Amino acid sequence: MTEHPVYILEREFSAPRDLVWRTWTEPDLLAQWYGPGVETIIHELDVKPGGRWLNEMKMGENSGYQKSVYTEVSPPERLVMLMSTTDASWELAANPRMPDWPATLLTVVTFEEAGGVTTMRLEWSPHEATAAEIACFAGAVESLGQGWGAGMEMLAKVLAEMQAAA
Amino acid sequence: MVMNISIATDPAPNLNAVFAALADPTRREILSRLADGEASVNDIAAPFAMSQPAISKHLKVLEKAGLVTRAVERQKRPARLNAKPMQDAAAWLETFRDFWLGSFDQLDSLLADLKPEEGTKT
Repeated sequence: MTEHPVYILEREFSAPRDLVWRTWTEPDLLAQWYGPGVETIIHELDVKPGGRWLNEMKMGENSGYQKSVYTEVSPPERLVMLMSTTDASWELAANPRMPDWPATLLTVVTFEEAGGVTTMRLEWSPHEATAAEIACFAGAVESLGQGWGAGMEMLAKVLAEMQAAA
Repeated sequence: MVMNISIATDPAPNLNAVFAALADPTRREILSRLADGEASVNDIAAPFAMSQPAISKHLKVLEKAGLVTRAVERQKRPARLNAKPMQDAAAWLETFRDFWLGSFDQLDSLLADLKPEEGTKT
């Protein structure tokens, strides 16, 4: 098991970096893109070290809550925050279905621009996590996300065989 | 974090054990081996520089997580892969990824809308 499993997503946007930066740091813009198929309500957005992003995601009757605390803000290049799932009063809350998923994920967002295209990269790793949380995250990321490329192929193959046999 | 949005659809009750089991490279190798068909502890241990008891221990972890079942009625107790928990685990991570990729799609459209307002920028 790796000490610090990391999950990475990267995406290019044909927009200048300054503009992409604004979509993370201005509440009216952030609310427009963050959270697909949900209504995003930003209760607080204070983008500075120690500042908070309090986010509610409404899906009909239900809401999910997240709190992020910024630890590094370097416009327009790098944004580092501690993201946690919380209850409605912004207290950390474990997911009942997945208690060992890390309560807090260190999230590093970097923005690089070349020729009018901005590459946005997100990296998640468990923050101050228990051994169980690290194992859970490592299992998810290394086996199914990255690292064990054969895992998903193997799974697809076995499932296909199971369906053929059924 | 964002995973709480998937509570309603997440089908898996015991994913913690599945992820913990998958976190170990030896156990992943064993699963890969079993994907080709059932095998005895002997067969499984052969390619590893590892004792049979050590392999048995890994098998127990996989069994507990529901990833492997072992025949009780046959003498060699061959192990076979049960892929369902892996599928559930993959669905969990996919929810996480889909949340972000879906958000990125929305961000892409938002940026396209914003750019003309930026005026002279090239």
